[in-house]
Amino acid sequence: MKDTVGRKLRLLWLQSITCNGNTHSFLNHPELFSLLSHFDLVHHPVLESGYSMEELTDKKIPCDILILEGSFIEEGFTKNGVEVSSLVAHYAQRAEYIVSAGTCATFGGIFKQKDPEKISGFCFDGEERTERYEHYAQKLISLPGCPIHPRWLSYVLLMIASGKKVALDSLHRPVELYGYTVHSGCTRNEYFEWKIDAKQFGLKEGCLFYEQGCQGPYTRGSCNKILWNDITSKTRVGTPCFGCTEPEFPKVGLFSTRTNMGIPATMPLGIPRRAYLTLTGVVKSFKIKRFSERLLEYDK
Amino acid sequence: MKRKVIKKLIEKIEGEAELNYTFDKGKIEDVKINFGFYRGIEDILVGKSPKDALVITPRVCGICNHAHLIAAVRAIENGYGSAGLKIELTGKAKQIREFTLSCELMQNHIKWLYLTMLPHLEKYLKLDVTGNHAVKAAYFSTTITKAMAVFAGQWPHSSYAVPGGVTCDPTQLDLMQAHSLLEECIRFFEQVVAGIPLETYLEITSVSSLHTIGGDFGNLLHLLDKSGLAPRGGSHDRFIVFADSFLAASGKSIVTSVSPVDARYVEESEQQGSVAKAVTYKNRLYEAGPLARGMVSKEPIVKNLHKRYKDALITRIFARIHEIGRLLEANRNLLSRIRIDEASCVLEEDMKLYEFEGTGAVEAARGSLIHRTTVVDGRISSYEIITPTQWNLSHGNEQEKGVAVKAMVGSGTEEEADFIFRAFDVCSVCTAQ
Amino acid sequence: MKMKEKKALKRESIIQTALQLFSANGFHKTTIPDIAAKLHMSVGNLYNYFSSKDILAQEIIKYTSEVLGEKIRVVNTMDISAKEKIYKIVEIYFRMAKDKPEMIEYFLRVYLSNREVFNDGCEGMVCVSGFITEIMIFFDDAVASGELRNQDFFSAFGLFMGYLGGMVFLKGEGVLPKGIEYYIDDISRNIYNALKN
Repeated sequence: MKDTVGRKLRLLWLQSITCNGNTHSFLNHPELFSLLSHFDLVHHPVLESGYSMEELTDKKIPCDILILEGSFIEEGFTKNGVEVSSLVAHYAQRAEYIVSAGTCATFGGIFKQKDPEKISGFCFDGEERTERYEHYAQKLISLPGCPIHPRWLSYVLLMIASGKKVALDSLHRPVELYGYTVHSGCTRNEYFEWKIDAKQFGLKEGCLFYEQGCQGPYTRGSCNKILWNDITSKTRVGTPCFGCTEPEFPKVGLFSTRTNMGIPATMPLGIPRRAYLTLTGVVKSFKIKRFSERLLEYDK
Repeated sequence: MKRKVIKKLIEKIEGEAELNYTFDKGKIEDVKINFGFYRGIEDILVGKSPKDALVITPRVCGICNHAHLIAAVRAIENGYGSAGLKIELTGKAKQIREFTLSCELMQNHIKWLYLTMLPHLEKYLKLDVTGNHAVKAAYFSTTITKAMAVFAGQWPHSSYAVPGGVTCDPTQLDLMQAHSLLEECIRFFEQVVAGIPLETYLEITSVSSLHTIGGDFGNLLHLLDKSGLAPRGGSHDRFIVFADSFLAASGKSIVTSVSPVDARYVEESEQQGSVAKAVTYKNRLYEAGPLARGMVSKEPIVKNLHKRYKDALITRIFARIHEIGRLLEANRNLLSRIRIDEASCVLEEDMKLYEFEGTGAVEAARGSLIHRTTVVDGRISSYEIITPTQWNLSHGNEQEKGVAVKAMVGSGTEEEADFIFRAFDVCSVCTAQ
Repeated sequence: MKMKEKKALKRESIIQTALQLFSANGFHKTTIPDIAAKLHMSVGNLYNYFSSKDILAQEIIKYTSEVLGEKIRVVNTMDISAKEKIYKIVEIYFRMAKDKPEMIEYFLRVYLSNREVFNDGCEGMVCVSGFITEIMIFFDDAVASGELRNQDFFSAFGLFMGYLGGMVFLKGEGVLPKGIEYYIDDISRNIYNALKN
């Protein structure tokens, strides 16, 4: 262990193959600057920071917490003439904690699809462990999401800063963030319970799981608990969940539910198919008047 | 003095770029711009469902993702139209889309002002960095993207615009929330950015009254003027706008004369030694972005600045920040017009259209963004994305230098060229998709 | 414990007896005293088990649906092709129509013909879910494995069960020239051909 007593932990944010979405999502944190005041920001892709990109590529920067954004390729992506893979290896060895911020850094994400054999997440390739896993598993915290929610990252950073242990699941995701499904807390839950599908996009009424491709019931994430932009979520504005925190994101056909003879091909997380179908058959047998009407009647 | 080549890494521009300046007799005579990694979003889309583009293309760029969504949905709607299914969006859907898009533009412009322009100008002029720029950038952008999320569900990476409209079905409560967040940003603009009431600001049309602008914007104008940078950075003085928006109708402007454009004449070509493709319109290079919108729409204060400075730094920088004021006012009007009893989405079911070709254009923060989708057998067979920065940052062709390159040519130092380069609001990730 | 088991056995024998009487004589013509008499029990005691004739009728449909569902569930867990599963399901259905005709007759002649009895408590699929769930699982597996063509559930279900129900109805009417088992082979082939990919 490095001696970190009496000084702030040094934070290094390093980008690989990315869209910068996690960077910008993080900038939306309402308490960004009081949060950052707990740390020494040694390098960041957008914010003023202690060291330049040139110093980063010269491998000169000290770091305690390494935040990774973007997916990885062994060869062919350089910054200032230095392979990003070697930069990451350098800093990953020195860091006390590695946070893979976003689905790309964690599992490979969208950019993995350009070259699935060569591009992957840092320690995972989809759900499979990469060679790096053994080296870094001890200090790895996975924060999948396309993008990450700013509060997911601040939770992890503040836990580290206060010397607390972050409880993780088998893919190194914090259980307090990924123990839920995106479905929990969705304002359309009543429609899911009663198996009322959304007739079309653009309505408050109906559940998006049956037709519109919503993956909320089997996607891990706190999107409907820790709200986006502190105000809402995809499903709350009628957009399906696309499963962006999952190792296989993105699947094909994101706006339609894959069904076999009308039966959803993927069951809600951990629900046996027989149990789900039994419940569906029963619940669908009732016509609930309230659910056949507009939720809010303005004319009455 | 000998010819020499100086290599410089430019960072904090939505990724990085490597600039190779060729100096001759103490002045820059050419610049080669190299961007990072080609990520191949266009290739990733091949074989996917047409609507998957609404989820995948925003991931081209973390800062202008929403513009990609709007271009993608317009491309599909245009494709449906060419296959015989004409879509007429409701006023509500149009207004909500325009509102959210404008919020993203403002988010972008304010970050550019506070994270790029002011700190780099202060650094260039060796002034004390005033410190809280980032706090200001974050406060405004967090607030305006929150207003946007009321409808779009989240920022970044919303996919709430779907063929036929939008997925949200807002209540009066939602509208009110968006409205008060917007008013908070207007207050910020008045007290911090421009130092004068929005109404007063928008009445400014003459260069002689620019001194009434206070705040950080006023300070920036003052520094540009005092340092002698204001008239630097001129380029081809040709501008192009492809999408109609509140800011400008589409068109091109050459020596102040405006004429129509047709996206069919846009051509993309590979550039040797760069992962970014170059774009031309009928073989000529054009500048895209806020200055182009100001020129094509003949926005009075932009035209008057142009009359004095042509397409110099001061005009380019002013045009971008000026859009914040215009968009704040426009969004206020948009919100007051939204009727919640109109339909959010006019398409009642998933369209079974298996063959179509469509083009969608949108005015993004950095200029015209164009998406082209070709669908065969219900799957995307090819997808083309032309980003604004490809217009501004290409090397150019045999006849002429690229827009940003020409603007940098003649600079005496790489620090000056660096600032001129950043004034284009460079986005590395969009350029090398 | 023993008392509980005894009660369960009694309950089942009431269901089976009522099932036979309802199927043979019709729902309306069969009375609670008829059923009690056949079971050699008092009417009052029978009401301890089922508080009304309607409730008894509903319990019977749940019971038959579960018996049938249980048999199809066994087929669903077998490692065989969808084509073979179709054969087995048709076989189960027709054998039951032959060996325990009252089970199927009840469904066709009581459940489907006296909807008013089932409206309150057996809406839609509530009382037949034991059976429907297994058919859903059969379809889901068969489409997932690529053997059957993906389509709306009811267009497939109607073809399958409508066909089987129709055949049993014809048998009940006495118009089938041959024993029902004779038709298992052809009918399962027809169903497979209609639904296959």
